[in-house]
Amino acid sequence: MKFGIFYELSVPRPFANGIESKVYHDSLQQIRLADEVGFDTVWAVEHHFLEEYSHCSAPELFLTAAAMSTQRIRVGHGAVVCVPEMNHPIRVAERAAVLDILSNGRLELGTARSSTWTELGGFQADPDTTKKTWDEFVRTIPKMWTEERFSHQGVCFSMPERAVLPKPVQQPHPPMWVTVTSPGTELDAADRGLGALGVATAGFAEQERRLKEYRRRIQLCDPVGSVVNDQVATLNFLYCDEDIEEAARLGNALIGHFGQANSHLLFTREAYPTRAYGLLANISPGGGRRRTPAETNPGQNVNLPEGMAIGDPDRIVEVIREWESLGVDQVNFMLNALECIPQEKVLNSLRLFGEHVIPKFSTDS
Amino acid sequence: MLTGNSPLEQLVPNLPTIASWEVDPVVLEGVEMLQAQFEVAARNIERFLPPALHPTIPPLGQWSCWDVPDSPWGPFRLAQFRLSCRSGARPRAFLLGSMIDNEDAQKNLSSKWGLTATHADIEFLRNYDAAEFQVAAADQLAIDVKLRNPESLAISDLQLFASMHGANTPSGLRLVQFDPTYEVHRTERYLPTIDHFNANAWHREGIEPVYAVTAWGAHSTIHLPNIRFVCRPDIDAFRGTESVQDA
Repeated sequence: MKFGIFYELSVPRPFANGIESKVYHDSLQQIRLADEVGFDTVWAVEHHFLEEYSHCSAPELFLTAAAMSTQRIRVGHGAVVCVPEMNHPIRVAERAAVLDILSNGRLELGTARSSTWTELGGFQADPDTTKKTWDEFVRTIPKMWTEERFSHQGVCFSMPERAVLPKPVQQPHPPMWVTVTSPGTELDAADRGLGALGVATAGFAEQERRLKEYRRRIQLCDPVGSVVNDQVATLNFLYCDEDIEEAARLGNALIGHFGQANSHLLFTREAYPTRAYGLLANISPGGGRRRTPAETNPGQNVNLPEGMAIGDPDRIVEVIREWESLGVDQVNFMLNALECIPQEKVLNSLRLFGEHVIPKFSTDS
Repeated sequence: MLTGNSPLEQLVPNLPTIASWEVDPVVLEGVEMLQAQFEVAARNIERFLPPALHPTIPPLGQWSCWDVPDSPWGPFRLAQFRLSCRSGARPRAFLLGSMIDNEDAQKNLSSKWGLTATHADIEFLRNYDAAEFQVAAADQLAIDVKLRNPESLAISDLQLFASMHGANTPSGLRLVQFDPTYEVHRTERYLPTIDHFNANAWHREGIEPVYAVTAWGAHSTIHLPNIRFVCRPDIDAFRGTESVQDA
């Protein structure tokens, strides 16, 4: 089992007094600590215009800063938006290769197509075509990395033969992923030999169903790259505290703040009827059944959502064991939302997780 | 978090009164629906919503028109202007204005569902290649919407959401959740233009459509249901939502 931390870089209003700078620098401090205590990957999203919810519009810069101040944690684009109005595919390949070089081969490249009208409309992108453009990106980027010179005649872009430079450090190329929000996207990932980077939290039963089909399909895949990435990652929230009541209070606040900020975005399906987006929202935090206090921690009056890494270390170990039993390879955690948890408590949560939880899942154990 | 900041009484000066929650359900057959969706200027958009509701980012104006060929009150056309919003985390649209061309339907929609509407002349046209509606009230053109380039959609591609409007109710002054059931038989998407929009005619000075998103049309059977939920207008929906059954 691998563990990651996942950044939306949410910023509460009012956007003044250096709050954006604080969020960025606090996050970099968390990443340095996560590197020290044994987390495997730091992921950063690419979002545009998503007031409060995510101010992470240039993740390649943020991740470069993370890579330059850490030693071993891998850096994950979680994910690059593969819509040509936002990112030209050649630029995606170039920037990713540079980040792989600067991080000494620690890049993971996630790919996505955006789910909000807020973003697609802002770039005047056509929601009907994003699935097709994403497909063209993921089929061409590995070739740009691995072929000495590359040319392409496509639908969303074409280019005469050129050397796309530099080339990444990792051989044959960095692992590639697809963010999975809508049900069915995990099958698109499997068919192309790409990792499934879950960014929608869901209960155990739904994740188990999706995982089973992903594992079956990827055995038959026609990989778009030179290597198959058959890992499945799921998204979770982390707040670890020795005081389980405090853990429940702040952990549930984390889920609530995140969900509220998320729900105020204008999702593509709401603004623009299209068969290309089958799901209204992109995330349903804490969507699972809430366990009764008796189930969660007998004798204590706390209420914790199913499957979420919220609680004391023992409870979190128990939750992750359940994810492990489903066959999930990596759990990525959101640590804060709209600054609802003070930085010192976030850092303490990371320390506790590193000290008491990660060792239980190390390769040796 | 952006939150509405105008009292409901100020937003809806002539609040309708729902005397009883008990109404006989009404089924409207063969309704042609058109709706144009435009982003609206976002500055101070909170002033168009009560404190229970939150604007979306960006705010989306929805201009719709129903052409109802028959009803218990005779045929009528109903034009509505709504603003996209959130009630808690749920997608909703807040009714900013409504106009209707049938006095009997006007009275019944107001007294039974709290849907207040002013009298207007409404033109509605749907052809194979285009559609349009125009609304005029008190000798003023209120809106002129043209829809072009229809593309057929699967019925499941269209998702319709409940709207919220203000009313005096048996529970007191409330936001009423209006969520008809739509049986959609045909739907298509259009490119919209708004050739004329008179915010004053809707008593919504300061709000303007600024960027066309899309438009859709549908042929539907609409079931007007009993009201199920209301919400206190002055506090957030997590605390203020009430089931009518509990009232």
